[in-house]
Amino acid sequence: MEIKPGIFKLISVLLILVMFAGLGCVGDQGENESTDSMENASGNAAAGEGETLTVFHAGSLSIPFEELEAEFEAQHPGVDVQREAAGSAQSIRKITELGKNADVLASADYALIPSMMTPEYADWSAAFARNQMILAYTNESKYGKEINGNNWYDILRRPDVRFGFSNPNDDPAGYRSQMVTVLAESYYNDSQIYDDLILNNTGITFTTQENGTALVQVPASEEIAPNPDKIMLRSMEVELSSALETGEIDYLYIYRSVAEQHGFRYVELPPEIDLSSLDYADNYSKVQVQMVNGEVVTGSPIVYGVTIPKNAENPELAAEFVKLLLEEPGQQIFIENGQPPIVPAIAEGKDKMPEELLSLLE
Amino acid sequence: MKIFITKSSKFEPLIFIFSFLLLVLFLFIFLTLSNMIFGQIFDDLQGLIEAAENRAVVSSIFLSLYAGFLATLLALFLGVPAGYILARFDFPGKRLVESIIDVPVVVPHTVAGIALLTVFGSRGLIGGPLEGYIRFSDALPGIVLAMLFVSLPYLANSAREGFKSVDPRLENAARSLGAPLWKAFLFITLPLSARHILIGSVMTWARAISEFGAVVLIAYYPMIGPTLIYDRFLSYGLSASRPIAVLLILVTLSIFIIIRVLSAGWSIYDRD
Repeated sequence: MEIKPGIFKLISVLLILVMFAGLGCVGDQGENESTDSMENASGNAAAGEGETLTVFHAGSLSIPFEELEAEFEAQHPGVDVQREAAGSAQSIRKITELGKNADVLASADYALIPSMMTPEYADWSAAFARNQMILAYTNESKYGKEINGNNWYDILRRPDVRFGFSNPNDDPAGYRSQMVTVLAESYYNDSQIYDDLILNNTGITFTTQENGTALVQVPASEEIAPNPDKIMLRSMEVELSSALETGEIDYLYIYRSVAEQHGFRYVELPPEIDLSSLDYADNYSKVQVQMVNGEVVTGSPIVYGVTIPKNAENPELAAEFVKLLLEEPGQQIFIENGQPPIVPAIAEGKDKMPEELLSLLE
Repeated sequence: MKIFITKSSKFEPLIFIFSFLLLVLFLFIFLTLSNMIFGQIFDDLQGLIEAAENRAVVSSIFLSLYAGFLATLLALFLGVPAGYILARFDFPGKRLVESIIDVPVVVPHTVAGIALLTVFGSRGLIGGPLEGYIRFSDALPGIVLAMLFVSLPYLANSAREGFKSVDPRLENAARSLGAPLWKAFLFITLPLSARHILIGSVMTWARAISEFGAVVLIAYYPMIGPTLIYDRFLSYGLSASRPIAVLLILVTLSIFIIIRVLSAGWSIYDRD
């Protein structure tokens, strides 16, 4: 009788171990079976056994890409799509500097692909969807009942209101927040908006250039040092959405898609300043942001770009993924997630693109 | 030499295999780190020197060490008494308590950060009422808190193991001679478990310094070393972040070596 509890424990530990090991086997078997049936069912050459497709994408593309992944894996059994979400610039640096391989790269700023990857790491890019800057809030946000497209900057000015944006050095959503706020000055005819909201609370500086364009200069991240009573800054928007959810901040400059995907309420800003419309591209270009690494970005409509990096291990499968992204099912996913697709997609470096994609372009 | 003498000339396959595995383990860690460190020193010594002279870099590394130290002090204050109770007494739900204390080790750091922000944020369960007195988000207390949360289990567990290794009869002997419990604890039990607690403290401190995911959620500012490394990687790329990483490793490595050397012969009572 004395030995029994010991034996019982041993057996239960063994059982747990066996169960874990078993789970692994079952998973493998399932995959093998589906690939077997796949080989018979379809002559699709690209869909091989146990292949993986690595996709690096901007954080704001996480939800639509998750849906695309499900769709793609359903169409190509046996293929495992592995997604890595990060800031757009970071995603690109993982390829260009850390030497990681990605089959598909999707950036929240279309312009980053030609500027950071061409010609060494990619030779074409396609603009496939748009987005818009908004001000997200929740039912708990202070003055959430009063805020609208005409008074938002006055509400943000109130001393007991805290708001957030991502680091302009790291994330396009961050420098776009600066652009929107600068553009608000001339739109609302109030030259103190940017000063009151951002300049006086951070180490960011601002000058007007000779040609009339506004230039926001972002110092090294440790020198941005925002006033913690007013502004919350993080390198990624994900970290800020959780801060908005917990009530740490009242308002958050973010993409409309993110607000819709998280179920946040949001204030729509006028199209003249919210970087959403190709019609106002000239107006957007009146503001520039210089990041600490010296790179200067000019205001432009928010357009998502995709490419297949040159170091892709599985370029054929990648082309199929991009095809799905640009075709009808992909467009539908992007409509549902508040990121209107650009149809047909606009490409740079068309002659270098996989042939099967050409019919989906302008 | 001693081993060879006692085992005479007999070849022990077990010792051979274990030694080989030790070599694999060592090389795994050593190659990964030394490749980075020596790569930095030989390819770009200038960058390392510049990093060491940069005020932001130095203050972030100092902040990491300092906040980690504060977290370790708090962990000692909480973990030593907790470890004593867990080592000496049985009570209903003890297993549950022990399991819950271990949870911070397995929780993904981002999740830990979100949980901390929810509770200690300016509108959180504890942070809310304390607003106006102490600020956690984007401030030193938040950093210490996040470090404490992820590293506390190391101290609590090693203190518990330390106290368990002390025979309760020694305590009883002291008490039977008239010492009150606090005296027996302070002069008998605590010194005998000092090495366990010291090793636990070093682990706690190390774990606190290396923490990034939980800290960055609750406090991006002031920037600790890992936050600055991550930020430099995002803003400039690998070549700007590596010198800081190497510097952080070198600083912590030298501190660990010093602690190990100083504490090598350190035990107040010889138990053998």
